Amino acid sequence: MSNTDQATLAATQSQRPPFYRDVTVVKWLAQVFTLLLVVFALFFLTTQALENLDRQGIEIKYDFLSIGLGSDLREGIDTDPDTAGRALWAGAVNTIRIAAGGIVAATILGVLIGVGRLSSNWIVSRMCSVFVETIRNIPLLVQIVFIWALVATLPNVELDQGPINGLLHLSNKGLSVPRVHIDDGFYQWLIFVGAGWLVGSFVKRRQERRHDATGRDTYPVLSFLAVLAVFGAVGWVAHPMFGWVGAIFDFIGDGFSSLTPVVVQIVLSLAALAAAAWWIRRFLARLRTPAGLMKLTDDDKFRIIFAGVGALAVIAFVLVGWPGLSSWIINSGTDLLGVIADKFGDGRTGRPIDIKAPDVEQVGNFPNPGPAGLNLTQGGAAVFFGVVLYTASFIAEIVRGGILAVPKGQTEAAQAVGLRRVTMLRRVILPQAFRVILPPLGNQYLNLTKNTSLAIAVGYSDFVQVGQIVYNQTGKTLEVISLWMLFYLACSLTISVVVNFFNIRMKIVER
Amino acid sequence: MTATMGDPAAGAGPVEPWDGEREPAQKPEEPSLSAGEWLGRNLFSSPVNALLTAVFSLLVLLVVRGLLNFTFSEERTWRAVKTNMRFLFTHAYPQDQYARIWVCVGAIAVLSGLSVGLLARAGRGISMKKLSMNLMATGGVIALGIVLREPSAIVDDEGVALHRDASAAVGDSFADWLDANAFTVLAVLVLANAALAVWFHLQGTYLRGGPEPRVGHGVLVLASFGVLIVQQYATGEIVRESFVDAMSDRAWWWLAAAVLAGGGAALWSGLGDARRRNTFVPAMYVFFVGAGVMVLSAWVYPWGHYGFLEGEFINEPGRTVAMTTKLPWTVMLVLLVATYELGRVLRAAGAGPRLRVPLNLLWVLTPFVLYWAVLRDPDLDWDHVLSTDLPMALFFAAFGGLVVWFLAHPRIGESGRVVAVVLVAVAALNWVAAYFGWYPMLQKARISFLLLAVVALLAHNFAGDRAQRMKLVAVWVATMAVFHWLVTLVNSPSTVDTPTDALIGGFGITLIVAVFTLLLAFPMGVLLALARTSKLPIFRVLSTVYIEVFRGVPLITVLFFFTLIFNLFLPDNMTLVDIAGATIGFALFSAAYLAENVRGGLQAVRRGQYEASDAVGFTTVQRTLFIVLPQALRVSIPPLVGQVIATFKETSLLAIVGIFDFLRIADKVISAQSEFLGVKREGLLFVSFIYWIFAYNMSKHSQRLEKRLGVGER
Repeated sequence: MSNTDQATLAATQSQRPPFYRDVTVVKWLAQVFTLLLVVFALFFLTTQALENLDRQGIEIKYDFLSIGLGSDLREGIDTDPDTAGRALWAGAVNTIRIAAGGIVAATILGVLIGVGRLSSNWIVSRMCSVFVETIRNIPLLVQIVFIWALVATLPNVELDQGPINGLLHLSNKGLSVPRVHIDDGFYQWLIFVGAGWLVGSFVKRRQERRHDATGRDTYPVLSFLAVLAVFGAVGWVAHPMFGWVGAIFDFIGDGFSSLTPVVVQIVLSLAALAAAAWWIRRFLARLRTPAGLMKLTDDDKFRIIFAGVGALAVIAFVLVGWPGLSSWIINSGTDLLGVIADKFGDGRTGRPIDIKAPDVEQVGNFPNPGPAGLNLTQGGAAVFFGVVLYTASFIAEIVRGGILAVPKGQTEAAQAVGLRRVTMLRRVILPQAFRVILPPLGNQYLNLTKNTSLAIAVGYSDFVQVGQIVYNQTGKTLEVISLWMLFYLACSLTISVVVNFFNIRMKIVER
Repeated sequence: MTATMGDPAAGAGPVEPWDGEREPAQKPEEPSLSAGEWLGRNLFSSPVNALLTAVFSLLVLLVVRGLLNFTFSEERTWRAVKTNMRFLFTHAYPQDQYARIWVCVGAIAVLSGLSVGLLARAGRGISMKKLSMNLMATGGVIALGIVLREPSAIVDDEGVALHRDASAAVGDSFADWLDANAFTVLAVLVLANAALAVWFHLQGTYLRGGPEPRVGHGVLVLASFGVLIVQQYATGEIVRESFVDAMSDRAWWWLAAAVLAGGGAALWSGLGDARRRNTFVPAMYVFFVGAGVMVLSAWVYPWGHYGFLEGEFINEPGRTVAMTTKLPWTVMLVLLVATYELGRVLRAAGAGPRLRVPLNLLWVLTPFVLYWAVLRDPDLDWDHVLSTDLPMALFFAAFGGLVVWFLAHPRIGESGRVVAVVLVAVAALNWVAAYFGWYPMLQKARISFLLLAVVALLAHNFAGDRAQRMKLVAVWVATMAVFHWLVTLVNSPSTVDTPTDALIGGFGITLIVAVFTLLLAFPMGVLLALARTSKLPIFRVLSTVYIEVFRGVPLITVLFFFTLIFNLFLPDNMTLVDIAGATIGFALFSAAYLAENVRGGLQAVRRGQYEASDAVGFTTVQRTLFIVLPQALRVSIPPLVGQVIATFKETSLLAIVGIFDFLRIADKVISAQSEFLGVKREGLLFVSFIYWIFAYNMSKHSQRLEKRLGVGER
């Protein structure tokens, strides 16, 4: 290498590259450019949509929610809703019902099948794998439609008919089982149960401590349940004595209704600021080492700025974007407190919980399941069994994978200690497998919830189907689709928060 | 066949390991168990196990019996499916143009045959032992099914089942008694099984061998099977055949069972010792034999000739299937076999490595070409083509080729950047001009300019010697040729005349939407995954928001958005037909899921790989393209295949947004035909079966791939 070459090399090393070749500049330019592109594309689409809507004389407004809906729903908490908003609410409840029931049923079935696939019994393991391979390779929608068609061929509904007369009706109108429902004194009774829960946890903790100290069997969970049962039993009779609780809620409600919107706006803004400040503090605390604050990367700075901007956005929304929000919060808060207050006192002396057997009523020409029992209509049964079977087949695979992921030494150790197969599964294998299983299981719960939207194919009145009725009648397609997306995003968010909570709790604590 | 039955590696010996893959080490042969030992170990190893066996085998038989009775019941109208076969697969595609569909199937058959013959690892295939055992088992299952099925009803001339007179005395045969008390009898048998288990357990003979417990359980289990069979012959409302008549009516099935089981047994005993039983036959040959039997049966067996031609229903039972069905399928099979053999010959000649890339390119091009072949018969406006389309394509090919040649020079330096910046500016200007309407320009010219700008920005990453640059120029020219060819085609009117808006429906649209969804979603998914794992915050936030939003909402709402109101968001002279909208919706949705799968792969790439590529002086693009992505994608192949299957299944949602896809035709269209009013379950079962075959085979293939790639082992 010649001298001049070395000189130029040294020169290039000493001077910074021109700004257009500086890595930082190029990176940020690229990012800002992309952001602008995305913003421009969204802006273009939105203005175009507004223009088109304007030309057609349509406005984006959500006032259709308080306008009457001309048609009935097939099922739900309110089959003859007054307004479109009420109808959508009933649809949302139906979706949540199917999803919650489905999650429980699919988990139980899936775990059984997943364990069954690993059974040493040839027929059991084969049957389970045939189930999984069949169900998960057929589209869910096809299954739902098929189950619907199968239910349609069942016999007509009658009172003295079904697998168990009077208790379980299986007919072409769906499935009816006895219903447990909340009766007169339920909320007063709930106070007893809550108190029992507190006392029970206290007893449980004490028993656990005694177990740790002495090593004797102290049955903490059993004592907890016993305390709870005693409180429940006492409350069953004694709940009317809490009739005065309603007055407290009335009082709080009166206080709440006398707030002015400005107060709520200020409180919300302060809460947003406080949340951002708390988050930034925690974030910085994490980066702090004994030697002082670590050097912040671009990324860290961005996060901090993002948190601040987020808080400002919330404040802007509360103050400018939707000032009516505050008065809405006040009104609905007052209403809610009033509703709760009504649940107590004034002749509420009956029992808290009641059970009713399904009935059959004949209004017109055709008999129908009556309101007493818990009814799953034809569409509901199709969606429910469809999503449960489908999700169970995926959960089974997850469970199997989780169990296989537990080191073989654990099984061998458990056998060496002399545990029985069931005990080994319950105490050694499944708890360890659960850690591996939980994150994908949460995904399956999400999928199940979203898959209930296929109810639209069989006319079960879930959120999507009711939404379709609403936009068919009001023409507010854009608004309804936005509500759909918000609702399901909220559901997904809730499920992921819950799953994450358990995930963090289950994690092995490492040093 | 004997030549291929031997070790396939010996046939292809010297050219075998060109792709660097080796046969996995052979597993040690498991010792063969006698039937009794096998039963003892797998079914009756402990009292609980014996009880499980009793209960679950009963359950299996009940399900199988229900399925058989459902399928073969006189109430089933399978004719509805047979008649509407063409409808189910292509909806209203005109009959006189049908040759095009067959050309497409033929093209896929040729490509598949070649690929499998040429590229697929010869593999060990199916061992003769497994084959013969499977044959015997299939024969046995069929025989069991024949016995288990209820006797057919006696029908009158019009095919309606005869009902028993209400006055006629219901016979009080043994079967009737069993029918009335089936539940009790079965419960007693299961309880007896449990008692037996407990008894032998108390005796302590369970683990110490001795065949008594197994024999006892076996007899009780067989007795419960017997109950299930005899119960079928109880006298019900419908007049049914006697046992002897029923068995002789199922002569064809008996024949099939006997041929399968006998063939398997003959193979088993003919092979003699264990070593010869462990030889392998390529899986494709087994497939060919099976498909051959099916095609042959179309020529020989009277499946019946049904169809739906210009509003006329054809209903001719007792004939072989229509010539328009059996002839094309025969040709397809011959093509497949011939190209497979051709592929094997080429492979033996050592052409594998050279033909691999062109063959894969052909596969990528196939969807576009076939789309054109099925849906477009363009009436090209030759004046326009010669005056505008062709010159423009040539200009971009030549100009772009020059740019690439220039920019891929290893010592290009600053001048290359100037060229790239100028091109980016021109491309951006074109789009800004489009928004403000400064000057008109063909959309494809704008897109071509944009592509050229992207290539110009990236070209220095691919710099190399003359050969390398020639290759790059060739890739560019080919891209431009295909792009301009496709745009020209899509812009010309189609001459396919169908009664509905959509040119094709049924399974055809399912496949088209699935393939184009994946073609669109895959690159998007990879980009999103890269952005989400990137250190650059804005990229990461944008892609995270995108992914989480799309994963948080149900597919059906996305589809409704794109089919119902997306046109609202477009300029007024632009509309999107609903099938295109649905495909875009599917693609955006799948991309979010694919991105998560790829992200998993990206996280599996070791840090050292990044550091090493930095040490070699790679640019970010080079590192990503040549080091990171190949490793990440390899790891994420199994979840990616899972996503492909999911997308394939999700295409059934087309039925909800009103497109006449496979499911909608079975669900809504057939059951509305006057001949088949309300006939739904048959069609749905058929649809499930077709979906199942595709999805099941894909998932099996992915499992094999996973094993072969040794994910998690290396």
